[in-house]
Amino acid sequence: MSNSINTSEIIFTNEKMAQALHTAAKKIAPLWPLENFVAVNPYLGLSGHSFESIARQLSFQAGIQTTMPRDYYLKAIQENKLLLEDIEIVLAKNKTIEYDDAPSFIRDLKSKDFEKVKTPKVNTVAEVARKISSANWPDFMLDCISSWASSYFDQAQSQWKKDKHQLSLFSAWKIEAETNRSPSLMGLKGFHQLITELPDNPTEAAKIAIDSLGLDEEALPIYLHSLLLRVGGWSSYIAHFDWDSNRYGREEELVSEFLSILVCWEYGIFNALKNPVLESQWKIAKEEMIKKGFSEGSNSAISDLLILQEAYDLSAQRKLTGKFKVKVQSNQENIKCKVQAVFCIDVRSEVYRRNLESVAPEFETLGFAGFFGFPINFVKVGHDDGYDQCPALIPSGYKVLEKIDDQNQNEKVILRRKLNRAFSFAWKSFKSSAITSFGFVSPVGLSLLPKLFTDSFGITRPVPHPQHNGLSKKEIENLSVDIESRQNGGQITGIPLADRVNMAKGALQAMSLTNNFARMIMIVGHGSTSVNNPHASGLDCGACAGQSGEANAKVASVILNDKEVRRQLAIDNIFIPDTTYFLACLHDTTTDEVSLFNTDLVPDSHQEDLENIKQRIRQAGKSARAERVLRMSMEGDGDIDSFVRSRSNDWSQIRPEWGLAGCSSFVVAPRTITRGLNLEGRSFLHSYNWKDDKGFAVLEAIMTAPMIVTSWINLQYYASTVDNKHFGSGNKTLHNVTSGVGVLEGFAGDLRSGLPMQSIYDGVNYQHEPLRLSVVINAPKEAMIQMLEKHDSVRELCDNRWIFLMAMNDEGEVTDIYDGELKWKKLNVEEGIFERNEKLIEELV
Amino acid sequence: MTTDLFTISVLVSPLLFVVIAILSWFIRGLRPHNLIRVSRISSYLAIIVALISVVIVYQFGLLESQSYDFNNLGFSIRLDSLSVLIFSMINLISFIVMRFSFNYMDGDNRQGVFIGRLAATIASVQLLVLAGNLGMLWIAWVLTSISLHRLLLFYSGRRRSKLAARKKFIAARLSDLFLLGAIVLLYNHFGTGNLQEIFSGLKSSPNALDPSIEIAAALIALAAILKSALFPTHAWLVEVMETPTPVSALLHAGLLNAGPFLVARMSFVMMESTSAPILLIVFGGFTAIFGSIAYMTQSSVKTALGYSSISHMGFSLLLCGFGIYAAAMLHLVAHSFYKAHAFLSSGSFIDVKKASKISLPKRTANPIVLIISIILAFTIFSGLAYLWGVNPIEELSLLVISCIIVMGLSLLIGTAFDSSAGRKLISRVVAMATLVALAFFSLETLMGTILKSQIPAISQPSTAVTILLFFWLIIFGGLVLIQIFAPMLKNKDIWQRWSIHFRNGLYANVLFDRLVGALYVKTSKEESDLIKRYD
Repeated sequence: MSNSINTSEIIFTNEKMAQALHTAAKKIAPLWPLENFVAVNPYLGLSGHSFESIARQLSFQAGIQTTMPRDYYLKAIQENKLLLEDIEIVLAKNKTIEYDDAPSFIRDLKSKDFEKVKTPKVNTVAEVARKISSANWPDFMLDCISSWASSYFDQAQSQWKKDKHQLSLFSAWKIEAETNRSPSLMGLKGFHQLITELPDNPTEAAKIAIDSLGLDEEALPIYLHSLLLRVGGWSSYIAHFDWDSNRYGREEELVSEFLSILVCWEYGIFNALKNPVLESQWKIAKEEMIKKGFSEGSNSAISDLLILQEAYDLSAQRKLTGKFKVKVQSNQENIKCKVQAVFCIDVRSEVYRRNLESVAPEFETLGFAGFFGFPINFVKVGHDDGYDQCPALIPSGYKVLEKIDDQNQNEKVILRRKLNRAFSFAWKSFKSSAITSFGFVSPVGLSLLPKLFTDSFGITRPVPHPQHNGLSKKEIENLSVDIESRQNGGQITGIPLADRVNMAKGALQAMSLTNNFARMIMIVGHGSTSVNNPHASGLDCGACAGQSGEANAKVASVILNDKEVRRQLAIDNIFIPDTTYFLACLHDTTTDEVSLFNTDLVPDSHQEDLENIKQRIRQAGKSARAERVLRMSMEGDGDIDSFVRSRSNDWSQIRPEWGLAGCSSFVVAPRTITRGLNLEGRSFLHSYNWKDDKGFAVLEAIMTAPMIVTSWINLQYYASTVDNKHFGSGNKTLHNVTSGVGVLEGFAGDLRSGLPMQSIYDGVNYQHEPLRLSVVINAPKEAMIQMLEKHDSVRELCDNRWIFLMAMNDEGEVTDIYDGELKWKKLNVEEGIFERNEKLIEELV
Repeated sequence: MTTDLFTISVLVSPLLFVVIAILSWFIRGLRPHNLIRVSRISSYLAIIVALISVVIVYQFGLLESQSYDFNNLGFSIRLDSLSVLIFSMINLISFIVMRFSFNYMDGDNRQGVFIGRLAATIASVQLLVLAGNLGMLWIAWVLTSISLHRLLLFYSGRRRSKLAARKKFIAARLSDLFLLGAIVLLYNHFGTGNLQEIFSGLKSSPNALDPSIEIAAALIALAAILKSALFPTHAWLVEVMETPTPVSALLHAGLLNAGPFLVARMSFVMMESTSAPILLIVFGGFTAIFGSIAYMTQSSVKTALGYSSISHMGFSLLLCGFGIYAAAMLHLVAHSFYKAHAFLSSGSFIDVKKASKISLPKRTANPIVLIISIILAFTIFSGLAYLWGVNPIEELSLLVISCIIVMGLSLLIGTAFDSSAGRKLISRVVAMATLVALAFFSLETLMGTILKSQIPAISQPSTAVTILLFFWLIIFGGLVLIQIFAPMLKNKDIWQRWSIHFRNGLYANVLFDRLVGALYVKTSKEESDLIKRYD
């Protein structure tokens, strides 16, 4: 009997093939390049299904874990971070599993084999071939694809390449596959020949490949998605092009083209190695894909882990909601607020804000997305194009140029930067071209000896600061933003007046700051300081798409100080007093220093206020550093300030700061409710006063934008923690920056997405505990339900338990939790809690 | 007697690192504060020892310690300008690499082990350069690769890490065997392992051609070729970023130099041979070209740096083959500092990219402008040569290196001329070009003076060498010209196809992979991660 597959039965049309590729491509979350490393929810294309079913699906298709290993939870029980009572609550809810109580569940748990979770049940052709001959074809295929993709997407490293993207993804790959002899030499006989014979159109080629592999309609979607997950890093990177096209209204789909490439590879392997064993094993593999569907939930190991994770989330929520029960005496009562400071919602702001408020009772702080409602594309002085400085959810609206106010000076700086660039290009060609590099090294190499030492002691930076390159200290201080609307060499820059007014109005309303303006209002963006850190932009402001929030803060304060803007705002009943001054600032999250910009423009009447601010931010910085340093492994009791500062300019430092590690809740409420509470730098804080929100437009905006972004960040940290191999970027000490867009871990393998292990783990403990985001909103419950009804994508997140939504009343107590299907459930923190039975716990774990 | 004490006291430096390696057996794990403290002090002391040794050699010239040997084969320390030069370089780089590892490896649950292995490797390199006897030289030679092997396998569970180490293991053992063969031959011939006695033996009977010396020299050349990862055994070197960055820095800036160092150390032997220089010229020249072209096709920072190191090692050995040892050693030392910095700062790449959002002036690729820039480069160089009082034409071998410098300057000036950037850029580039040429002359002279006693004087090369010299020069020059005109060629199909072949290292690596059964190497659980797994 022949094992060959009768292909005539399952022929796809080109349209069907294109559709199948498209459907699989949509399941891949985007990954941005390192220069603007935006946090993304890696489960983005999958959030239409429940958290639990995706956990099963990912394990089934790619061996991806969605929970921590068992022992992590056992340790959490020991540390009282996971309560047995909560396990029992989850067990009771879960009808498919029958356990009488938590102890018997845990006892049973310990006897199970958990290795299975990591082994995918879906096998690709390459994996089937590995099973047969133990030759590692999957990794070989991955390395070849990765090496080609790094070269195709290379923007900065290699000098010998074509002009950017002259060829489409698929045609470029086809030339590569026809030319590269590695597969043939490695034992895939005639691989390049097989590929040459395929059509040049990606969909047609994929169709022929799929026909040859004999996949039917049921198996195809599973197979295609699994293939993309095998090269998850590059797939995601490519998906960001599609995301951006979409954002700016272009039609383009590169991921499905990339998927065609993967399918053709499989086709090549299948036909190059073709033998009866492979064919029969591949037939079995195809049956497995559909036979053991993930829906049945038979994998009890995953089910058990999911129970533990849910209970872990529950226990953390108890702790969080318990905090709000305690009424803290605010030090602010009866003191007139003199300064308002608007910070980003970022969890790192919480620490600073709390410390600032405690040293300065006359300060009131607010939380708002760190782009302050001004979606700009910011072009640094002398640069040709800029970076979008707004959340990745929305397109940037306006091109804003950086400038130095003195026109002459400005032109000088532009010329100087252009000259520097041209010179460094010539120098680089000399240094790194073939043969001429020998002429470079002999005479110039020795000059790097002193530099090795100065870099080592943090006296110099290994390379100039990209922002400050070619600028003197004085010039850096004088940098401002040019918002004048004008035609500028073929492009329109600046912001027209009407739009300024609209944005100002939108921003003030959204941050619930439409009356009671203080004399000084600080608009505090944030950024970070680290050197030699490929992931540096991941520490910058996420709301500004991985950039420092400096520019947005400057734009916001220039516009809000504008007399004409204020006059027009008054028409809409927003009266900003003449005595109010907006001051642009930047909070350095690494050193907790706050810099104030363009202070020479501050009117004389406000000099005293300015002095006060300067003094307060020094005090607040000191105490914030003292708090943050507890998470660093500081040896002995040295000078904290210099310890923190030295980390920020140390080229060997792999943990300049902890970033957003620990983020687990998002609190939307007036600051008066949360002031004085220690939320441990784990909460995003958004100021919101529902009583001022007519028609709940602001609530809608919060639930559709910041809430999504915070969940992206939270799930990025979550995924990097639970499965660093697939959704994280592994060991930072092995990072090899590739194509100027991402990192490889070591020599080869897939492009790595997500966070390095060092950013979530300190060597002993996880600094990020994998918890799904708890969103606590102080607003009427019905209003929130309305928003869920209106926005399917938001409802999906809540219904499928990617986030937990909770309602807070005006007294600051968390009263209800969203229970799916547009219903609320009452919350009671103490409910079902017994005294901790140490003996039992010791016996169990 | 006092000088003997001085000489032996240099051993403090390797001994300190041996102590660290031993301590690391007891302080293996996470945040080994005490081990770090000891290592910090030791790396400071090592620099001081290096400084002292420089002073001693400056004062006394060549110094040899008492010999501890069996039939003149064994252990002695030799301090001369060559060993002290490389010794100081190693100690400076070790200081930087050690210091870097303290924070970089923080949180790894085997940081102590890492520091220990780093120290062991440093100690073995130090012993290698200080060796005054063939016996010690060979043992240190083997030790460097064994200790390096343990560093390459720091994350020993990683599949690609094992693969690289396996390939390196093969190359290193072959290299050990070749060197052993050479040493046996030399010892047989001279009846001693003492380097000084061998050198003076050679000097006293310069024309006594002996087949065993001929073969020994060829074996030394082959040992160096393998040690420095020349084509086609380079594969492992571009794959060793499977181990933390400081190891790459130490390897590329320190251990790889063992090849050219050995050849320079044994330069008096090499000089007596006709085949050894030819081996070096052929392998070195090809690798120099291959590596520097492959470098341009790589998309990953560290991998590209790997290819760059291969090409510089090839170039250093090529210079050795031409008999211009001073230039070779200058290149070696300069390359070490350059490469150590390049690896340690490889994380800054994104900063560089961010700063380059400024458009470049348009390239015109105008042949006349390019010819002018070549002439200008030549004028600057020969003008300075005249002022400096050197005549490259007379010293034929010096001609090579001079031509290369002129080629480099042509490209530098050409890139600036061939653009609409204006006068400011041109004057800046010309100023830099002059500075580079000046630096070259002064450093070249300096290195020649320092090493004078330890290397043979530049002599008239043999006909074969002369032919090869012109052959490579023409090829090098052609390649530079092609690159100057590259903007016009880069979208041509054939050009692209060749870039694919070069990106794949001309498939030498695939063949090596097949040889070692790369497809069958598996990831294993042990020590593949920086954290203790929960299960």
